[in-house]
Amino acid sequence: MSAKIDFSKISFLVVDGDKISAQVVFDTLSYLGATAVQRVRSPNDAFEVLRTQQIDIIVTEWRLRGMDGLEFLDVLRNSVNSPNRFIPVIMLTAHSEQRYVTTARDLGITEFLAKPFNAKALYSRLVSVITRPRHFVNTGTYFGPDRRRRQVAFDGPDRRSPDDE
Amino acid sequence: MTHYDWGTGAIVTPEKKKKKAQIIPPQTDLKRRAVNFVKGFDINLSPEQLEELEKVVQRSTETFVRDIGKELADCRKLVVDAVSNNSKAPTALENSADLAYSVKALGGTFQYPLMTQIAKSLEIFVADRTTANMKQLLVIQLHIDSLYVILASRVTGFGTTVEQATVAALTKLAERYELPRE
Repeated sequence: MSAKIDFSKISFLVVDGDKISAQVVFDTLSYLGATAVQRVRSPNDAFEVLRTQQIDIIVTEWRLRGMDGLEFLDVLRNSVNSPNRFIPVIMLTAHSEQRYVTTARDLGITEFLAKPFNAKALYSRLVSVITRPRHFVNTGTYFGPDRRRRQVAFDGPDRRSPDDE
Repeated sequence: MTHYDWGTGAIVTPEKKKKKAQIIPPQTDLKRRAVNFVKGFDINLSPEQLEELEKVVQRSTETFVRDIGKELADCRKLVVDAVSNNSKAPTALENSADLAYSVKALGGTFQYPLMTQIAKSLEIFVADRTTANMKQLLVIQLHIDSLYVILASRVTGFGTTVEQATVAALTKLAERYELPRE
């Protein structure tokens, strides 16, 4: 018997100014069984929802009016006023070049999905967020999910071992 | 904290220890709530389930064709107006940039990857411009016209060599008239 995901147990917030894009995500989540899916067009509206309702996962576009998706993420992860610094964030964007991915990663994105996307890609990001939660790392310059996804040999100093003090 | 070293007789400031990263355990609440063996979708979807899911995405194809078609027509009008009245160029550029991003983002999702390619060329061309001269506005107009033709003719996929040659020609044209960029 294989493990399943009951999407009705999870609440989503979709932040996207593009009507069609937001609809596609909404339709997909609804088909998967999600019953609590909120849609807003701007980060300001998103913060309103986050302050008043229980949201488990955010799916946001990078290009938004006013505050863009990166600033939104920055406030979520780093502001003392953040409603939830640990909330998983999936960023959808047509800015798919490496430098954009790196920037989003270094601001604490949980998953990155390049547009145009297909259903399989979106589903795999959802599965990853739900079934493989990552450690959070807090340093002087970064707060967010662990950016080390692969275990590779590294002969530099181990900056994560406990202090000797 | 500094201290007096009796051996050397000097005031010593100890080296500051670099703060180690704080590792916070994963939040497993979502996994605990949603993952089970009874209800919901398999973590690994079968090809048939994926096909069904893709159909859900494709439900919005008609909305895409209708809405983007209208936005292309509206944007073309703005660009044509700007050709005859350059003070309208900033508005036309802003509109073109938004449209280019939308089409680039969604074209491929709805089986119009050719539109994504052309929109990418347009996006690069209009990026960071606040104004444009007449020739540059005509380059934008050509991109919009090409996008409209592809959509109206329902050219899905990457098209034939003719369509690919058109994309290459548009990209070259955009490179040729890239300057001045203001």
